[in-house]
Amino acid sequence: MSKYEYAIAQTIDDAVRLLNEPGKRNVVLAGGTDIFVALRVNPLWFDRLVDVGRVPEMRQIREDAGLVSIGAAVNFTQAVESPILQKRAPFLVEACKTIGGPAIRNCGTFGGNVANAAACADSLPALVCLETVAHLRSAKGERRIRVEELVTAPHETQIEPGELITHFTFAVPPQDARSCFIKIGRRKAQSISRLSIAVIGNLDRNGKIETVRICPGAAVATPVRFRNVEQMLTGQKPSKELFASAGDQLVAEMIKSTGQRWSTPYKEVALKAIAERALSNIFLQDGSLC
Amino acid sequence: MLIKFTLNNQPVAVEAPPDITLLALLRDYLKLTGTKEACEVGECGACSVLLDGNLVNSCLIAAPSVMGREVVTIEGIHDADGGPNDMQRNFISYGAVQCGYCIPGMVVAGEALLSKNPHPTREEIRVALAGNLCRCTGYMQIVDAIEATASERAKKSQ
Repeated sequence: MSKYEYAIAQTIDDAVRLLNEPGKRNVVLAGGTDIFVALRVNPLWFDRLVDVGRVPEMRQIREDAGLVSIGAAVNFTQAVESPILQKRAPFLVEACKTIGGPAIRNCGTFGGNVANAAACADSLPALVCLETVAHLRSAKGERRIRVEELVTAPHETQIEPGELITHFTFAVPPQDARSCFIKIGRRKAQSISRLSIAVIGNLDRNGKIETVRICPGAAVATPVRFRNVEQMLTGQKPSKELFASAGDQLVAEMIKSTGQRWSTPYKEVALKAIAERALSNIFLQDGSLC
Repeated sequence: MLIKFTLNNQPVAVEAPPDITLLALLRDYLKLTGTKEACEVGECGACSVLLDGNLVNSCLIAAPSVMGREVVTIEGIHDADGGPNDMQRNFISYGAVQCGYCIPGMVVAGEALLSKNPHPTREEIRVALAGNLCRCTGYMQIVDAIEATASERAKKSQ
């Protein structure tokens, strides 16, 4: 007797129908890189896997009318190789490069990274900075929700049973926007983020910061923008001193959110350092670090 | 359920339960034990195979999901006479094999790289092997063997 069943979806409608078949706990399978790891440690939490890995619409990266769309079953190798993402969101590409090793990147997907909602998920900080919207389909129709709001706690999201993330969209950033992603792991590859940061922003005509969005990864429970720090930076002239105090404020906000944890003495130094590095890279140098 | 796919260029159909991984399908149902089982969480690369030409960890692939697709295991990588191919011979001559447990995965990862990038730099070889752990060799000889294979193949194709 097998512990669970398997069904393959050919289309999004097919997947939604399978996910909503009554009497079964259905779980979406895309790349499998989280599910098969979790199966080794967690009690079985589903009766059937619904494989969406072959749904063609869910495997495309497109740009249309100023909007970039990433299918939920797009894997990280596709992302790294995508000319659209390389051009529009280089820091997202850099983040995807740091995920696992080649075999993991050939399988792991954006939908899975978001739905699994690990605090250390590497694609999320950049997606949050891009104000990425997740498009969810269910028997009731489509709803849209920002990735930043979709993830509510570590490994918890607002995705309802029977609901499927079909794709993500974000507006093409301004032409002069620069972005940066920095990750600290214990090794160069195949490592889980201890800490990371994604930053995107641009300068106005007078050389002052016009917009900036900052989202650290693995710093607080979920990937969220640190809006107080963004506000403090907006309208200012970039300088080493400014970015040092932005780093201090970022750290203060992190500790306000998490309290003093075992990792705090390390993270308060490291977060300040990568924040300063990312901001300097974008606003004081040529952006070539990221 | 009946799982039909192409395995090492041959069509196969195997009756297996839906709740197993590709690794278990290969080792336990098809008796192809060249693909190794080690960490089972996608950390070590010992179970590496090619799925539609791409490197994957077979321990993280649902067995039924290979239906209709192409899988190549280490048993499918050999010379025309069935003996070791040029990369495998280089692994031997460069001393890249000690205990040998990681080597099927290393060869599969090496072939995956050269199929997409026939002229990799040493750095690109290291990146391509980032998901394959070896506790014996320190990787140097493995990188040497793949590098040598790439340059020999380049010369041959000239």
